[in-house]
Amino acid sequence: MGSVITDAFTQDHHRCDQLLAAAETSLGSGDWVAIAQVADALCTAMEAHFALEEGTLFPELTQVFRVAANPIEVMLSEHAQMRALLLDLTDAVAEHDKETCVGVLETLHFAVQQHNYKEEAVLYPMADGALRERAPEISDMLAPTDR
Amino acid sequence: MLNAAGLSLDQAPPIETPFSFFLLAPLFAIAAGGMLVWKGELILLSRWTPQALAITHLLALGFLTQVMCGALLQMLPVLAGAPVPGVVALGRLTQAALAVGCVALSWGLYSGHRVALMAGGTALLAGLLVFALVVAVALWRARGVPQTVVAMRLAVAALVVTTLLGTLLLAALLGAGVAGFQGWVNLHLGWGLLGWAGILIMGVGYQVVPMFHVTPAYPAWLTRTAAPSVAAGLILATLLTLMEQSTAIWALGLSIVACVLFAMVTLNRQFRRERPRIDTTLLYWWVSMSLMIAAALVWVLDGRDELIGVMVLIGIGVGLPTGMLLKIMPFLSWFHLQHRQVTARRFDLRLPHMGAFIPERLARVQFGVFALMLALLTLAAVFPGTGWGRGLARAGGVALILSSAMLWWLQIQCYLRYRRFSRTLG
Repeated sequence: MGSVITDAFTQDHHRCDQLLAAAETSLGSGDWVAIAQVADALCTAMEAHFALEEGTLFPELTQVFRVAANPIEVMLSEHAQMRALLLDLTDAVAEHDKETCVGVLETLHFAVQQHNYKEEAVLYPMADGALRERAPEISDMLAPTDR
Repeated sequence: MLNAAGLSLDQAPPIETPFSFFLLAPLFAIAAGGMLVWKGELILLSRWTPQALAITHLLALGFLTQVMCGALLQMLPVLAGAPVPGVVALGRLTQAALAVGCVALSWGLYSGHRVALMAGGTALLAGLLVFALVVAVALWRARGVPQTVVAMRLAVAALVVTTLLGTLLLAALLGAGVAGFQGWVNLHLGWGLLGWAGILIMGVGYQVVPMFHVTPAYPAWLTRTAAPSVAAGLILATLLTLMEQSTAIWALGLSIVACVLFAMVTLNRQFRRERPRIDTTLLYWWVSMSLMIAAALVWVLDGRDELIGVMVLIGIGVGLPTGMLLKIMPFLSWFHLQHRQVTARRFDLRLPHMGAFIPERLARVQFGVFALMLALLTLAAVFPGTGWGRGLARAGGVALILSSAMLWWLQIQCYLRYRRFSRTLG
Protein backbone atom coordinates (compact mmCIF):
# COMPACT_ATOMS: atom_id res chain seq x y z
CA MET A 1 0.00 0.00 0.00
CA GLY A 2 1.33 3.45 -0.91
CA SER A 3 1.82 6.10 1.73
CA VAL A 4 1.80 9.28 -0.34
CA ILE A 5 -1.01 10.92 1.61
CA THR A 6 0.26 9.71 5.00
CA ASP A 7 3.75 11.03 4.29
CA ALA A 8 2.71 14.40 2.92
CA PHE A 9 0.06 15.18 5.54
CA THR A 10 2.28 13.94 8.39
CA GLN A 11 4.99 16.26 7.16
CA ASP A 12 2.50 19.12 7.15
CA HIS A 13 1.59 18.25 10.76
CA HIS A 14 5.24 18.52 11.55
CA ARG A 15 5.46 21.94 9.96
CA CYS A 16 2.59 23.09 12.21
CA ASP A 17 4.35 21.59 15.28
CA GLN A 18 7.40 23.66 14.48
CA LEU A 19 5.33 26.82 14.07
CA LEU A 20 3.68 26.17 17.42
CA ALA A 21 7.07 25.72 19.05
CA ALA A 22 8.24 28.94 17.38
CA ALA A 23 5.21 30.77 18.78
CA GLU A 24 6.04 29.51 22.28
CA THR A 25 9.65 30.60 21.90
CA SER A 26 8.66 34.04 20.61
CA LEU A 27 6.67 34.70 23.80
CA GLY A 28 9.98 34.93 25.68
CA SER A 29 11.04 37.94 23.58
CA GLY A 30 8.22 40.20 24.75
CA ASP A 31 8.15 41.73 21.26
CA TRP A 32 4.42 41.63 20.55
CA VAL A 33 4.77 42.59 16.88
CA ALA A 34 7.00 39.55 16.32
CA ILE A 35 4.75 37.35 18.48
CA ALA A 36 1.71 38.38 16.46
CA GLN A 37 3.53 37.48 13.22
CA VAL A 38 4.48 33.99 14.40
CA ALA A 39 1.01 33.37 15.87
CA ASP A 40 -0.50 34.48 12.59
CA ALA A 41 1.75 32.10 10.63
CA LEU A 42 0.62 29.26 12.89
CA CYS A 43 -3.09 30.11 12.41
CA THR A 44 -2.67 30.35 8.64
CA ALA A 45 -0.81 27.02 8.38
CA MET A 46 -3.34 25.16 10.50
CA GLU A 47 -6.33 26.68 8.73
CA ALA A 48 -4.86 25.71 5.33
CA HIS A 49 -4.34 22.15 6.58
CA PHE A 50 -7.92 21.92 7.90
CA ALA A 51 -9.30 23.42 4.70
CA LEU A 52 -7.62 20.85 2.47
CA GLU A 53 -8.82 17.99 4.67
CA GLU A 54 -12.37 19.29 4.99
CA GLY A 55 -12.71 20.48 1.40
CA THR A 56 -10.98 17.68 -0.48
CA LEU A 57 -9.47 14.75 1.40
CA PHE A 58 -12.34 13.87 3.74
CA PRO A 59 -15.22 14.27 1.23
CA GLU A 60 -13.39 12.20 -1.40
CA LEU A 61 -12.57 9.53 1.15
CA THR A 62 -16.18 9.28 2.38
CA GLN A 63 -17.38 8.92 -1.20
CA VAL A 64 -15.34 5.80 -1.92
CA PHE A 65 -15.13 4.42 1.64
CA ARG A 66 -18.28 4.93 3.68
CA VAL A 67 -16.82 3.40 6.87
CA ALA A 68 -14.64 6.49 7.13
CA ALA A 69 -17.66 8.72 7.84
CA ASN A 70 -17.67 8.13 11.61
CA PRO A 71 -14.00 8.77 12.33
CA ILE A 72 -14.14 11.78 10.00
CA GLU A 73 -16.95 13.23 12.08
CA VAL A 74 -14.74 12.94 15.17
CA MET A 75 -11.88 14.63 13.28
CA LEU A 76 -14.17 17.50 12.24
CA SER A 77 -15.30 18.17 15.79
CA GLU A 78 -11.66 18.22 16.85
CA HIS A 79 -10.92 20.73 14.11
CA ALA A 80 -13.64 22.90 15.64
CA GLN A 81 -11.97 22.67 19.07
CA MET A 82 -8.61 23.65 17.64
CA ARG A 83 -10.16 26.56 15.74
CA ALA A 84 -11.64 27.78 19.03
CA LEU A 85 -8.18 27.60 20.61
CA LEU A 86 -6.65 29.50 17.67
CA LEU A 87 -9.26 32.24 18.23
CA ASP A 88 -8.37 32.30 21.94
CA LEU A 89 -4.72 32.65 20.92
CA THR A 90 -5.40 35.54 18.56
CA ASP A 91 -7.38 37.33 21.28
CA ALA A 92 -4.69 36.76 23.92
CA VAL A 93 -2.01 38.06 21.55
CA ALA A 94 -4.10 41.15 20.83
CA GLU A 95 -4.42 41.74 24.57
CA HIS A 96 -0.68 41.12 25.13
CA ASP A 97 -1.65 38.53 27.76
CA LYS A 98 1.44 36.33 27.99
CA GLU A 99 0.15 33.90 30.62
CA THR A 100 -2.98 33.11 28.63
CA CYS A 101 -0.88 32.72 25.47
CA VAL A 102 1.31 30.14 27.22
CA GLY A 103 -1.73 28.22 28.52
CA VAL A 104 -3.59 28.30 25.21
CA LEU A 105 -0.52 27.17 23.23
CA GLU A 106 0.02 24.34 25.71
CA THR A 107 -3.60 23.24 25.33
CA LEU A 108 -3.40 23.57 21.56
CA HIS A 109 -0.23 21.49 21.53
CA PHE A 110 -1.94 18.62 23.34
CA ALA A 111 -5.12 18.88 21.30
CA VAL A 112 -3.04 18.81 18.11
CA GLN A 113 -0.87 15.88 19.21
CA GLN A 114 -3.68 13.53 20.13
CA HIS A 115 -5.57 14.55 16.99
CA ASN A 116 -2.56 14.02 14.71
CA TYR A 117 -1.88 10.65 16.29
CA LYS A 118 -5.32 9.44 15.22
CA GLU A 119 -5.09 10.90 11.72
CA GLU A 120 -1.63 9.52 11.09
CA ALA A 121 -2.42 6.07 12.48
CA VAL A 122 -5.92 5.60 11.09
CA LEU A 123 -7.33 8.20 8.69
CA TYR A 124 -4.37 8.78 6.36
CA PRO A 125 -3.53 5.09 5.85
CA MET A 126 -7.24 4.58 5.12
CA ALA A 127 -7.07 7.37 2.54
CA ASP A 128 -3.90 5.95 1.00
CA GLY A 129 -5.69 2.64 0.54
CA ALA A 130 -8.93 4.07 -0.84
CA LEU A 131 -7.66 6.99 -2.95
CA ARG A 132 -4.55 5.50 -4.50
CA GLU A 133 -4.92 7.24 -7.86
CA ARG A 134 -5.82 10.64 -6.42
CA ALA A 135 -3.13 10.60 -3.71
CA PRO A 136 -0.34 12.49 -5.53
CA GLU A 137 -2.72 15.19 -6.72
CA ILE A 138 -4.25 15.75 -3.26
CA SER A 139 -0.84 15.80 -1.62
CA ASP A 140 0.37 18.39 -4.11
CA MET A 141 -2.31 20.77 -2.84
CA LEU A 142 -0.48 21.09 0.49
CA ALA A 143 1.60 24.22 1.05
CA PRO A 144 4.57 24.18 -1.37
CA THR A 145 7.06 24.77 1.45
CA ASP A 146 6.51 21.15 2.47
CA ARG A 147 8.59 19.67 -0.26
CA MET B 1 -8.39 -3.80 9.25
CA LEU B 2 -7.37 -0.55 10.81
CA ASN B 3 -8.66 0.26 14.19
CA ALA B 4 -11.03 3.19 13.81
CA ALA B 5 -13.09 2.48 16.90
CA GLY B 6 -10.61 4.06 19.31
CA LEU B 7 -11.16 7.52 17.90
CA SER B 8 -14.08 8.45 20.05
CA LEU B 9 -14.02 9.86 23.55
CA ASP B 10 -17.20 7.94 24.29
CA GLN B 11 -15.01 4.95 25.11
CA ALA B 12 -12.81 6.76 27.60
CA PRO B 13 -13.83 6.17 31.22
CA PRO B 14 -15.60 9.01 33.03
CA ILE B 15 -13.09 11.52 34.34
CA GLU B 16 -13.87 10.48 37.93
CA THR B 17 -12.34 7.01 37.35
CA PRO B 18 -8.72 8.10 36.81
CA PHE B 19 -9.11 11.23 38.97
CA SER B 20 -10.17 9.31 42.08
CA PHE B 21 -6.89 7.35 41.88
CA PHE B 22 -4.88 10.51 41.22
CA LEU B 23 -6.52 12.46 44.04
CA LEU B 24 -6.02 9.77 46.68
CA ALA B 25 -2.33 9.08 45.92
CA PRO B 26 -0.75 12.19 47.53
CA LEU B 27 -2.40 11.37 50.86
CA PHE B 28 -0.23 8.25 51.10
CA ALA B 29 2.87 10.28 50.32
CA ILE B 30 1.86 12.71 53.08
CA ALA B 31 1.54 9.75 55.47
CA ALA B 32 5.00 8.56 54.38
CA GLY B 33 6.36 12.03 55.11
CA GLY B 34 4.78 11.85 58.54
CA MET B 35 6.57 8.57 59.23
CA LEU B 36 9.87 10.15 58.22
CA VAL B 37 9.32 13.05 60.62
CA TRP B 38 8.45 10.58 63.34
CA LYS B 39 11.00 7.80 62.80
CA GLY B 40 13.23 9.09 60.00
CA GLU B 41 16.52 7.94 61.52
CA LEU B 42 15.34 4.31 61.78
CA ILE B 43 13.97 4.28 58.24
CA LEU B 44 17.22 5.34 56.61
CA LEU B 45 19.40 3.31 58.99
CA SER B 46 18.31 -0.02 57.52
CA ARG B 47 15.85 -1.18 54.89
CA TRP B 48 14.85 -4.01 57.26
CA THR B 49 13.39 -1.92 60.08
CA PRO B 50 9.59 -2.20 60.45
CA GLN B 51 9.37 1.55 59.81
CA ALA B 52 11.28 1.24 56.52
CA LEU B 53 9.07 -1.64 55.36
CA ALA B 54 5.94 0.33 56.20
CA ILE B 55 6.98 3.53 54.41
CA THR B 56 8.15 1.55 51.37
CA HIS B 57 4.66 0.12 50.93
CA LEU B 58 2.92 3.42 51.61
CA LEU B 59 4.87 4.89 48.70
CA ALA B 60 5.01 1.89 46.35
CA LEU B 61 1.35 0.88 46.70
CA GLY B 62 -0.41 3.95 48.07
CA PHE B 63 1.22 6.48 45.76
CA LEU B 64 2.97 4.82 42.82
CA THR B 65 0.70 1.83 42.11
CA GLN B 66 -2.35 4.00 42.78
CA VAL B 67 -1.37 6.49 40.07
CA MET B 68 -0.27 3.72 37.69
CA CYS B 69 -3.59 1.85 37.97
CA GLY B 70 -5.58 5.03 37.35
CA ALA B 71 -3.41 5.94 34.38
CA LEU B 72 -3.68 2.44 32.88
CA LEU B 73 -7.49 2.52 33.05
CA GLN B 74 -7.39 5.88 31.28
CA MET B 75 -4.95 4.80 28.57
CA LEU B 76 -6.28 1.34 27.77
CA PRO B 77 -9.33 2.29 25.70
CA VAL B 78 -7.14 4.49 23.49
CA LEU B 79 -4.67 1.66 23.02
CA ALA B 80 -7.08 -1.22 22.86
CA GLY B 81 -9.63 0.56 20.73
CA ALA B 82 -12.36 -0.92 22.89
CA PRO B 83 -13.77 0.00 26.26
CA VAL B 84 -12.45 -1.89 29.30
CA PRO B 85 -15.38 -4.01 30.47
CA GLY B 86 -16.97 -2.53 33.61
CA VAL B 87 -14.28 0.12 33.94
CA VAL B 88 -16.12 2.19 36.58
CA ALA B 89 -16.77 -0.79 38.84
CA LEU B 90 -13.26 -2.14 38.27
CA GLY B 91 -11.79 1.24 39.19
CA ARG B 92 -13.78 1.43 42.44
CA LEU B 93 -12.98 -2.14 43.44
CA THR B 94 -9.28 -1.83 42.66
CA GLN B 95 -9.00 1.45 44.47
CA ALA B 96 -10.83 0.27 47.57
CA ALA B 97 -8.67 -2.87 47.77
CA LEU B 98 -5.51 -0.91 47.13
CA ALA B 99 -6.24 1.79 49.72
CA VAL B 100 -7.49 -0.50 52.48
CA GLY B 101 -4.85 -3.13 51.69
CA CYS B 102 -2.03 -0.58 51.70
CA VAL B 103 -3.05 0.94 55.04
CA ALA B 104 -3.52 -2.48 56.69
CA LEU B 105 -0.31 -3.94 55.26
CA SER B 106 1.78 -0.90 56.21
CA TRP B 107 0.33 -0.91 59.70
CA GLY B 108 0.94 -4.66 59.98
CA LEU B 109 4.56 -4.33 58.81
CA TYR B 110 5.14 -1.52 61.28
CA SER B 111 3.46 -3.09 64.30
CA GLY B 112 3.77 -6.79 63.54
CA HIS B 113 0.02 -7.06 64.01
CA ARG B 114 -0.92 -10.43 62.46
CA VAL B 115 -4.55 -9.64 61.65
CA ALA B 116 -3.54 -6.39 59.92
CA LEU B 117 -0.93 -8.27 57.88
CA MET B 118 -3.41 -10.95 56.84
CA ALA B 119 -6.19 -8.46 56.03
CA GLY B 120 -3.84 -6.20 54.06
CA GLY B 121 -2.33 -9.09 52.16
CA THR B 122 -5.72 -10.56 51.27
CA ALA B 123 -7.18 -7.24 50.10
CA LEU B 124 -4.13 -6.52 47.94
CA LEU B 125 -3.94 -10.02 46.49
CA ALA B 126 -7.63 -10.01 45.55
CA GLY B 127 -7.76 -6.41 44.29
CA LEU B 128 -4.56 -6.44 42.26
CA LEU B 129 -5.23 -9.85 40.70
CA VAL B 130 -8.75 -8.86 39.59
CA PHE B 131 -7.33 -5.61 38.19
CA ALA B 132 -4.54 -7.46 36.36
CA LEU B 133 -6.98 -10.04 34.96
CA VAL B 134 -9.40 -7.49 33.47
CA VAL B 135 -6.56 -5.33 32.16
CA ALA B 136 -4.92 -8.43 30.66
CA VAL B 137 -8.12 -9.22 28.76
CA ALA B 138 -8.20 -5.68 27.33
CA LEU B 139 -4.47 -5.84 26.50
CA TRP B 140 -4.94 -9.19 24.81
CA ARG B 141 -7.19 -7.50 22.27
CA ALA B 142 -5.10 -4.33 22.04
CA ARG B 143 -3.91 -3.38 18.59
CA GLY B 144 -2.19 -0.09 19.34
CA VAL B 145 1.50 0.74 18.93
CA PRO B 146 3.11 -2.74 19.28
CA GLN B 147 6.07 -1.79 21.51
CA THR B 148 3.84 0.01 23.98
CA VAL B 149 1.30 -2.81 24.06
CA VAL B 150 4.10 -5.36 24.64
CA ALA B 151 5.53 -3.22 27.44
CA MET B 152 2.13 -2.92 29.09
CA ARG B 153 1.54 -6.66 28.92
CA LEU B 154 4.94 -7.30 30.51
CA ALA B 155 4.30 -4.64 33.17
CA VAL B 156 0.97 -6.17 34.16
CA ALA B 157 2.56 -9.63 34.27
CA ALA B 158 5.26 -8.15 36.54
CA LEU B 159 2.54 -6.72 38.79
CA VAL B 160 1.09 -10.23 39.17
CA VAL B 161 4.51 -11.73 39.99
CA THR B 162 5.24 -8.92 42.47
CA THR B 163 1.90 -9.50 44.20
CA LEU B 164 2.44 -13.28 44.39
CA LEU B 165 5.98 -12.83 45.73
CA GLY B 166 4.63 -10.35 48.27
CA THR B 167 2.08 -12.94 49.38
CA LEU B 168 4.85 -15.53 49.76
CA LEU B 169 6.90 -13.13 51.90
CA LEU B 170 3.87 -12.33 54.00
CA ALA B 171 3.34 -16.04 54.61
CA ALA B 172 6.98 -16.23 55.73
CA LEU B 173 6.46 -13.31 58.11
CA LEU B 174 3.41 -15.06 59.53
CA GLY B 175 5.44 -18.17 60.27
CA ALA B 176 5.60 -20.32 57.13
CA GLY B 177 9.11 -21.62 56.47
CA VAL B 178 10.66 -19.93 53.43
CA ALA B 179 14.33 -20.63 52.67
CA GLY B 180 16.49 -17.72 51.48
CA PHE B 181 14.15 -14.97 52.68
CA GLN B 182 16.41 -12.10 51.63
CA GLY B 183 16.73 -13.42 48.08
CA TRP B 184 12.94 -13.49 47.72
CA VAL B 185 12.68 -9.95 49.10
CA ASN B 186 15.16 -8.80 46.45
CA LEU B 187 13.09 -10.51 43.76
CA HIS B 188 9.88 -8.91 45.06
CA LEU B 189 11.61 -5.52 44.88
CA GLY B 190 13.03 -6.24 41.43
CA TRP B 191 9.70 -7.35 39.92
CA GLY B 192 7.95 -4.37 41.50
CA LEU B 193 10.38 -1.56 40.72
CA LEU B 194 12.12 -2.74 37.55
CA GLY B 195 9.22 -4.80 36.17
CA TRP B 196 5.91 -3.21 37.09
CA ALA B 197 7.14 0.40 37.39
CA GLY B 198 10.19 0.36 35.09
CA ILE B 199 8.57 -1.40 32.15
CA LEU B 200 5.39 0.68 32.37
CA ILE B 201 7.49 3.86 32.37
CA MET B 202 9.14 2.59 29.17
CA GLY B 203 5.85 1.77 27.45
CA VAL B 204 4.34 5.11 28.38
CA GLY B 205 7.57 6.98 27.61
CA TYR B 206 7.67 5.68 24.02
CA GLN B 207 4.35 7.49 23.50
CA VAL B 208 4.48 10.59 25.66
CA VAL B 209 8.12 11.71 25.39
CA PRO B 210 7.92 12.40 21.62
CA MET B 211 4.40 13.77 21.99
CA PHE B 212 4.90 16.10 24.97
CA HIS B 213 7.97 17.93 23.75
CA VAL B 214 8.14 17.03 20.04
CA THR B 215 11.28 14.91 20.14
CA PRO B 216 12.54 12.36 17.59
CA ALA B 217 10.93 8.94 18.09
CA TYR B 218 12.76 6.33 20.20
CA PRO B 219 15.07 4.16 18.07
CA ALA B 220 13.68 0.74 17.15
CA TRP B 221 16.64 -1.15 18.65
CA LEU B 222 15.66 0.22 22.05
CA THR B 223 11.87 -0.12 21.85
CA ARG B 224 12.22 -3.71 20.63
CA THR B 225 14.70 -4.86 23.25
CA ALA B 226 14.43 -2.75 26.42
CA ALA B 227 11.23 -4.03 28.03
CA PRO B 228 11.84 -7.71 27.07
CA SER B 229 15.41 -7.40 28.46
CA VAL B 230 14.10 -6.15 31.81
CA ALA B 231 11.71 -9.10 31.90
CA ALA B 232 14.46 -11.55 30.86
CA GLY B 233 16.75 -10.35 33.67
CA LEU B 234 13.94 -10.75 36.18
CA ILE B 235 13.07 -14.25 34.97
CA LEU B 236 16.74 -15.26 35.09
CA ALA B 237 17.12 -13.91 38.62
CA THR B 238 13.98 -15.79 39.67
CA LEU B 239 15.28 -19.08 38.24
CA LEU B 240 18.65 -18.63 39.97
CA THR B 241 16.88 -17.88 43.26
CA LEU B 242 14.82 -21.04 42.85
CA MET B 243 18.08 -22.95 42.38
CA GLU B 244 19.35 -21.20 45.53
CA GLN B 245 22.23 -19.53 43.71
CA SER B 246 23.74 -16.59 45.59
CA THR B 247 24.54 -14.93 42.25
CA ALA B 248 20.82 -14.44 41.51
CA ILE B 249 20.91 -10.73 42.31
CA TRP B 250 23.48 -10.09 39.57
CA ALA B 251 21.08 -11.36 36.91
CA LEU B 252 19.12 -8.18 37.63
CA GLY B 253 22.07 -6.41 36.02
CA LEU B 254 20.53 -7.14 32.62
CA SER B 255 17.28 -5.42 33.67
CA ILE B 256 19.19 -2.50 35.14
CA VAL B 257 21.30 -2.02 32.00
CA ALA B 258 18.09 -1.90 29.94
CA CYS B 259 16.65 0.77 32.27
CA VAL B 260 19.86 2.81 32.10
CA LEU B 261 19.83 2.66 28.29
CA PHE B 262 16.21 3.76 28.28
CA ALA B 263 17.09 6.68 30.58
CA MET B 264 20.05 7.74 28.44
CA VAL B 265 18.07 7.59 25.20
CA THR B 266 15.20 9.50 26.82
CA LEU B 267 17.53 12.30 27.92
CA ASN B 268 19.06 12.34 24.45
CA ARG B 269 15.61 12.59 22.82
CA GLN B 270 14.59 15.39 25.18
CA PHE B 271 17.74 17.39 24.51
CA ARG B 272 16.94 17.10 20.80
CA ARG B 273 13.33 18.27 21.27
CA GLU B 274 11.80 20.85 18.95
CA ARG B 275 9.73 22.49 21.66
CA PRO B 276 12.30 24.54 23.55
CA ARG B 277 10.05 25.47 26.48
CA ILE B 278 11.17 23.87 29.75
CA ASP B 279 8.09 23.03 31.78
CA THR B 280 7.74 21.33 35.17
CA THR B 281 6.94 17.97 33.60
CA LEU B 282 10.19 18.08 31.66
CA LEU B 283 12.12 18.94 34.84
CA TYR B 284 10.59 15.89 36.56
CA TRP B 285 11.57 13.68 33.61
CA TRP B 286 15.17 14.95 33.73
CA VAL B 287 15.45 14.33 37.46
CA SER B 288 13.95 10.83 37.14
CA MET B 289 16.09 9.74 34.21
CA SER B 290 19.26 11.09 35.86
CA LEU B 291 18.34 9.24 39.05
CA MET B 292 17.84 6.01 37.08
CA ILE B 293 21.43 6.25 35.85
CA ALA B 294 22.81 7.40 39.21
CA ALA B 295 20.99 4.66 41.16
CA ALA B 296 22.44 2.02 38.80
CA LEU B 297 25.92 3.41 39.50
CA VAL B 298 25.36 3.22 43.26
CA TRP B 299 24.16 -0.38 42.80
CA VAL B 300 27.23 -1.38 40.76
CA LEU B 301 29.53 0.26 43.32
CA ASP B 302 27.74 -1.73 46.03
CA GLY B 303 26.48 1.44 47.74
CA ARG B 304 23.87 1.60 50.49
CA ASP B 305 20.50 -0.01 49.66
CA GLU B 306 18.74 2.75 51.58
CA LEU B 307 20.30 5.37 49.29
CA ILE B 308 19.11 3.47 46.23
CA GLY B 309 15.69 3.26 47.87
CA VAL B 310 15.48 7.04 48.29
CA MET B 311 16.62 7.65 44.72
CA VAL B 312 14.35 5.10 43.07
CA LEU B 313 11.24 4.98 45.24
CA ILE B 314 11.02 8.65 46.21
CA GLY B 315 13.01 10.32 43.41
CA ILE B 316 11.53 8.38 40.50
CA GLY B 317 8.52 6.65 42.10
CA VAL B 318 7.05 9.85 43.50
CA GLY B 319 8.71 12.32 41.12
CA LEU B 320 7.84 10.99 37.69
CA PRO B 321 4.12 10.37 38.40
CA THR B 322 3.94 13.85 39.95
CA GLY B 323 5.37 15.42 36.81
CA MET B 324 2.93 13.48 34.65
CA LEU B 325 -0.08 14.32 36.82
CA LEU B 326 0.67 18.03 36.58
CA LYS B 327 0.24 17.70 32.81
CA ILE B 328 -2.35 14.95 32.42
CA MET B 329 -4.95 16.28 34.85
CA PRO B 330 -5.29 19.72 33.20
CA PHE B 331 -5.41 18.07 29.78
CA LEU B 332 -8.09 15.54 30.74
CA SER B 333 -10.12 18.33 32.38
CA TRP B 334 -10.01 20.42 29.23
CA PHE B 335 -10.60 17.41 26.99
CA HIS B 336 -13.72 16.24 28.84
CA LEU B 337 -15.09 19.77 29.08
CA GLN B 338 -14.77 20.50 25.41
CA HIS B 339 -16.41 17.16 24.61
CA ARG B 340 -19.33 18.19 26.80
CA GLN B 341 -19.34 21.60 25.17
CA VAL B 342 -19.81 20.00 21.76
CA THR B 343 -22.56 17.70 23.07
CA ALA B 344 -24.35 20.58 24.83
CA ARG B 345 -23.75 22.95 21.88
CA ARG B 346 -22.70 25.70 24.30
CA PHE B 347 -20.24 27.46 22.01
CA ASP B 348 -21.03 30.78 23.71
CA LEU B 349 -18.88 29.65 26.65
CA ARG B 350 -15.13 30.06 26.56
CA LEU B 351 -13.38 27.09 28.17
CA PRO B 352 -10.41 27.59 30.48
CA HIS B 353 -7.05 26.55 28.98
CA MET B 354 -4.72 24.02 30.66
CA GLY B 355 -2.74 26.68 32.51
CA ALA B 356 -5.94 27.79 34.24
CA PHE B 357 -6.44 24.30 35.71
CA ILE B 358 -2.94 23.99 37.19
CA PRO B 359 -0.90 27.21 36.92
CA GLU B 360 2.66 26.50 35.76
CA ARG B 361 4.03 29.02 38.29
CA LEU B 362 2.65 27.01 41.22
CA ALA B 363 3.76 23.73 39.66
CA ARG B 364 7.29 25.19 39.60
CA VAL B 365 7.13 25.97 43.31
CA GLN B 366 5.92 22.41 44.00
CA PHE B 367 8.89 21.07 42.02
CA GLY B 368 11.25 23.26 44.05
CA VAL B 369 9.98 21.79 47.33
CA PHE B 370 10.24 18.28 45.84
CA ALA B 371 13.85 18.89 44.78
CA LEU B 372 14.73 20.19 48.25
CA MET B 373 13.09 17.11 49.84
CA LEU B 374 15.04 14.80 47.56
CA ALA B 375 18.36 16.52 48.38
CA LEU B 376 17.66 16.31 52.13
CA LEU B 377 16.69 12.63 52.08
CA THR B 378 19.59 11.68 49.78
CA LEU B 379 22.05 13.29 52.20
CA ALA B 380 20.27 11.63 55.14
CA ALA B 381 20.67 8.23 53.44
CA VAL B 382 24.38 8.88 52.84
CA PHE B 383 25.03 9.79 56.48
CA PRO B 384 22.76 7.55 58.55
CA GLY B 385 23.04 7.24 62.30
CA THR B 386 24.74 10.62 62.78
CA GLY B 387 23.16 13.47 64.68
CA TRP B 388 22.68 15.67 61.66
CA GLY B 389 21.70 12.67 59.50
CA ARG B 390 18.74 12.34 61.85
CA GLY B 391 17.92 16.02 61.46
CA LEU B 392 18.16 15.72 57.67
CA ALA B 393 15.75 12.77 57.63
CA ARG B 394 13.22 14.71 59.73
CA ALA B 395 13.56 17.83 57.57
CA GLY B 396 13.20 15.64 54.48
CA GLY B 397 9.99 14.22 55.96
CA VAL B 398 8.60 17.73 56.47
CA ALA B 399 9.51 18.59 52.86
CA LEU B 400 7.82 15.38 51.60
CA ILE B 401 4.65 16.34 53.48
CA LEU B 402 4.83 19.84 52.00
CA SER B 403 5.52 18.80 48.40
CA SER B 404 2.78 16.13 48.48
CA ALA B 405 0.29 18.49 50.11
CA MET B 406 1.03 21.08 47.43
CA LEU B 407 0.52 18.48 44.73
CA TRP B 408 -2.79 17.50 46.32
CA TRP B 409 -3.94 21.10 46.57
CA LEU B 410 -3.11 21.74 42.91
CA GLN B 411 -5.01 18.58 41.93
CA ILE B 412 -8.06 19.55 44.02
CA GLN B 413 -8.09 23.03 42.49
CA CYS B 414 -7.94 21.45 39.04
CA TYR B 415 -10.84 19.12 39.78
CA LEU B 416 -12.97 21.86 41.37
CA ARG B 417 -12.41 24.09 38.36
CA TYR B 418 -13.46 21.20 36.11
CA ARG B 419 -16.62 20.63 38.20
CA ARG B 420 -17.54 24.30 38.15
CA PHE B 421 -17.37 24.51 34.35
CA SER B 422 -18.96 21.14 33.93
CA ARG B 423 -22.01 22.39 35.84
CA THR B 424 -22.18 25.56 33.75
CA LEU B 425 -22.35 23.36 30.66
CA GLY B 426 -25.44 21.72 32.11
